[in-house]
Amino acid sequence: MKARGWLYLIAATLLAAPWVLPGYALEVAIQVLILALFATAFNLVFAETGLLSFGHAAFFGVGAYTSALLMQRASWPYLLTLPAAVGTAAALALLIGFFSVRTSRIYFTMLTLAFAQLVWAVVHKWYAFTGGDNGVTGLQPGQLWSDPHALYYLALLLTVVTFLLAVRLHLAPFGYALRAIRDNQARAEAVGLSPFGYLLAAFTLSGALAGAAGFLQVAWQRSAFPDFLYWTKSAEVIIATILGGAQSILGPSLGSLVFVELGAFVQSHTEYWPLVLGLVLLGLVLFLPRGLAGLGGARAGD
Amino acid sequence: MLEIKHVSKSFFGFLALDDVSMRVEKGSFHALVGPNGAGKTTLFNVVVGRYPPDGGEVRLEERRTSGLATYRVVRMGLGISFQRSQAFLSMSVLENVMLAVLAHQGRSRALMRSFSAESEAKTTAYELIGWVGLADKTETPTAALPLGDLKRVDIAMALAGKPKLLLLDEPLAGLSRSERVSMVNFIEGLLRGLGITLLFTEHDTDAVLRLADRITVLHQGRVLAEGGPDEIKNDARVIEAFLGEEYAEG
Repeated sequence: MKARGWLYLIAATLLAAPWVLPGYALEVAIQVLILALFATAFNLVFAETGLLSFGHAAFFGVGAYTSALLMQRASWPYLLTLPAAVGTAAALALLIGFFSVRTSRIYFTMLTLAFAQLVWAVVHKWYAFTGGDNGVTGLQPGQLWSDPHALYYLALLLTVVTFLLAVRLHLAPFGYALRAIRDNQARAEAVGLSPFGYLLAAFTLSGALAGAAGFLQVAWQRSAFPDFLYWTKSAEVIIATILGGAQSILGPSLGSLVFVELGAFVQSHTEYWPLVLGLVLLGLVLFLPRGLAGLGGARAGD
Repeated sequence: MLEIKHVSKSFFGFLALDDVSMRVEKGSFHALVGPNGAGKTTLFNVVVGRYPPDGGEVRLEERRTSGLATYRVVRMGLGISFQRSQAFLSMSVLENVMLAVLAHQGRSRALMRSFSAESEAKTTAYELIGWVGLADKTETPTAALPLGDLKRVDIAMALAGKPKLLLLDEPLAGLSRSERVSMVNFIEGLLRGLGITLLFTEHDTDAVLRLADRITVLHQGRVLAEGGPDEIKNDARVIEAFLGEEYAEG
């Protein structure tokens, strides 16, 4: 009963926000949702399989560029570019995952980083197609999606769908199989599970959803830039996830809220945001190793 | 049931297995023994598909298993319990065994069903957990179990696929004296009753002589002797290699 009460309160707040928040705060709220979607997608792999991807920006960025280029060059309506953005991000994740998920721990992290930087380099330099470091700018997502209220609800919908998918996966046999592989790969194989297939499927799903976050970013910014694929973007999603608590299903969203809001607040007062972020991370590692969700004590994911 | 034919395996020029051949007959309890470094673990790893042999082959009921990945060999009917048994430590006893059941039924890929609603697998898992004597610990997180209980969980998981052949690597390793006695009774009582074919390695000679119908002795990567317990404990070469005088009769 108590949990249901909280759920209603959160739902009401999320639905009412665009009508309460002033213009700038609504723009920030959309950023929170986009990062929350991205972080929840990232954590599908991180929490369930124990593999730390340092290359998720590639899927975010490729989703964004797919959407941007289809709008700019083929005049696709914005919303129709969603399946394409998700599809290309999934295809890229399948490819990168194919070579990466066989490796373990640090090698997986370094490989995903290397692949993502490779994709970034291509996007950064291929002026004829991607516009190189100028990016794709001046996009017109249409009258409806230029209204932050509509974009907010679209972002909310996609984020909630991703969140429900993450919960679904956590509770399904597929999620148990992933955690079995994470806990003890040799034992998992000895009960007949093939780790490669499971890890590749999870990685591809995660990459596809990250592509949806990129798709949203394009409408928010009306542009796509190579920065979307840069390793700092991958670091951002890792920080948001750990800040909120990777072991909790709500952690990545909570972390995204704090990360974006704190960033917006600090940047409006000082140019030393990286310094503040560094201090926050330091405090987090020292005093809250399980993230903000760890404050609640209970493991919301279990 | 299981046929190991002329298997060789070397590591960096060291010959760990040298033309090893043996057969495990259906319904028998077959022990694989030998001093440390004799090649038991290497042979175990070849049978479970962790190492491909350099030469020779392994067949399970006529079907070649050597060279296949572990999970494929398991799907062909091999049950495995490791020496350093570790369950999936983030899960309870019930969840561990349920997942093993689902994996064997090919139902572990499902995304749209809830794990906890898999009532058929749950029923099977309860039965397996009852067999290994942990019925009062189904909800216990495996991370909180003592080693002896973990080994039982491990065996329940190995039995989940109704294996044709069960492989136990050092089932008594790390257990106290009283745990050893109860584990030997447990293996004998449960597995004989189920009619399971068993291949196991073990250092505890008393346990081997009590459990095994047939014993293969490995020494320096080769089969030194093979026979029933009485033959083996009186075999001069075996006594010399590692049994010691105390086990010889008369």
